[in-house]
Amino acid sequence: MTSDVTGVNRRAMRTLFHKEIQRFAKVWLQTVISPLVTTSLYFLVFGVALGARVGTMSFTGSDGAGHEVPYGAFVVPGLMMLSMISNSFLNTSSSLFQSKINGTLVDLLTAPLGTPEILTAYLSAAVFRGIAVGLLVWIVAGLFTGFALAHPLWAIFFSVAVTTTFAGVGLLAALWAEKFDHLSIFPNFIVQPLTFLGGVFYSVTDLPPLWETISRCNPVLYTVSGLRYGILGVSEIPVMTSAVAVGAAMLIVLIICTIALNRGYGMRR
Amino acid sequence: MPIAEQDPRPLVLRGVGKSYGARTALQPVDLEIRRGEIFALLGPNGAGKSTLIHCISGISTQTVGAISVFGYDTVREFRATRRLVGLVPQEINFDPFFTPFECLMIQMGLMGVEPDPTWADELLARMSLTSHRNSYTRTLSGGMKRRLLIAKALVHKPRLLFLDEPTAGVDVELRRDLWQQVELLRDQGTTVILTTHYLEEAERLADRVGVINKGRLLLVETKADLMRQFDARQVRITTGTPLPEVLPATLDAALTRQSPCLLSAPWQGAERMAELLSSVSASFQVQDVSIQRTSLEDIFVDLIREADRTGA
Repeated sequence: MTSDVTGVNRRAMRTLFHKEIQRFAKVWLQTVISPLVTTSLYFLVFGVALGARVGTMSFTGSDGAGHEVPYGAFVVPGLMMLSMISNSFLNTSSSLFQSKINGTLVDLLTAPLGTPEILTAYLSAAVFRGIAVGLLVWIVAGLFTGFALAHPLWAIFFSVAVTTTFAGVGLLAALWAEKFDHLSIFPNFIVQPLTFLGGVFYSVTDLPPLWETISRCNPVLYTVSGLRYGILGVSEIPVMTSAVAVGAAMLIVLIICTIALNRGYGMRR
Repeated sequence: MPIAEQDPRPLVLRGVGKSYGARTALQPVDLEIRRGEIFALLGPNGAGKSTLIHCISGISTQTVGAISVFGYDTVREFRATRRLVGLVPQEINFDPFFTPFECLMIQMGLMGVEPDPTWADELLARMSLTSHRNSYTRTLSGGMKRRLLIAKALVHKPRLLFLDEPTAGVDVELRRDLWQQVELLRDQGTTVILTTHYLEEAERLADRVGVINKGRLLLVETKADLMRQFDARQVRITTGTPLPEVLPATLDAALTRQSPCLLSAPWQGAERMAELLSSVSASFQVQDVSIQRTSLEDIFVDLIREADRTGA
């Protein structure tokens, strides 16, 4: 009985999770296939066409040794990250913001749902979509470059941690935003530039020292490098450094999300 | 599993107030709602009706005071109170991704009850939405969307139901239909609180009435008491021929000339009315007699005007 009154409402949480999954699954062309096509085009142009001329990518790994990877294979983890980041962000931000605009947020506010239920359901659904698209990118790329997966557990860790983080960022963006324009700031002006400058298409260790230092301040660099280690087995940044950076970012975002939801920021009038 | 009641009283408000920075939307309110009643909250736009309902149902949180729903605190034990409360919001909302049937099934899950397709279909039937069970919600008319909102508010069989202006923009037939539904719910033991602009609605449905203006709860009375208190019925007698400016002394002193063919007097019982009538018919031809009853609307308008005048 007490669990009904104060405990986490599992049924409500499951329902919200399924609802969020259905919400993007019903429009799968737009939410899954469209980002897959975009990322595949990047891969075909940069990875396959350009890669044929570049040949192999030589870079200095975190072990200090020089590594050579076919350019096509080198860009795959970064492109996966790009699609996972944007899709996890888009899932929470568009869903929550739309319910703010069309008034269905009322259903969430008047339901017996606490912060743990809302956070878990929204983030899990977004993680699910992000990883689904990431996995499809990996499969499409694999047809050209071979299905590499050097350290599956690291690949899973970085995929889950990064999609969770950006799902959380998407949630905060939706709470903060008052109009659609506000929402587009994040993907267009923050996430995409950071991703493109985060070593998706080149190795930061080969940049001039100043630019390398600046690049190291880019949080997305650690997500790309970490996933590259999980998939190719080599990376510019030590995998533990990436893991700590990514894990810390996730923790911070989760804490901010919890505080925001507890306070009803952007939701409760 | 239904939530056990800790207190038979559906709703107890203790000093519940809400302010946004320096602006006070609701001055501290004390209010107890009786079990099984229909309580109508009346007030002009922006009076604080919705603010009060929002604080109880979870859309906002009060700045001061405590709200208890069947003994559970709406802040500390919100999972319990929200299971007991149903809300039909004032503004129509709909999720374009789901059909009415899917909406109800999802709503059951969100409210933490086992999704039951039979119950969803019964609710759709009650709200005359069966033929639109599998349509896209956006293709529903405004009235249908509102009925869907009511169905959604009932999925978890709430013991306390809020209807925030349920019949705003709803046609006459549907309005009567909704009234019947509300009365049916009350008969089944649901306590109902509704806000409305239509005084006819409160007059027809409510057991008790609360009047709220500029964030202040002015009064709470049973409808019958309120009508009695403000009862100022008038006898109106229409004559067949015009009356002189100065009425003849033979006429009852209680009568006043309203217009060339209309006399009026305060209602003082049936016997007095017979006296009035005979005094008029002695000198003039009586064409029509009517008794004008004060409507809740008159009372309401007077109350708000009085409150505004005294600066309350």
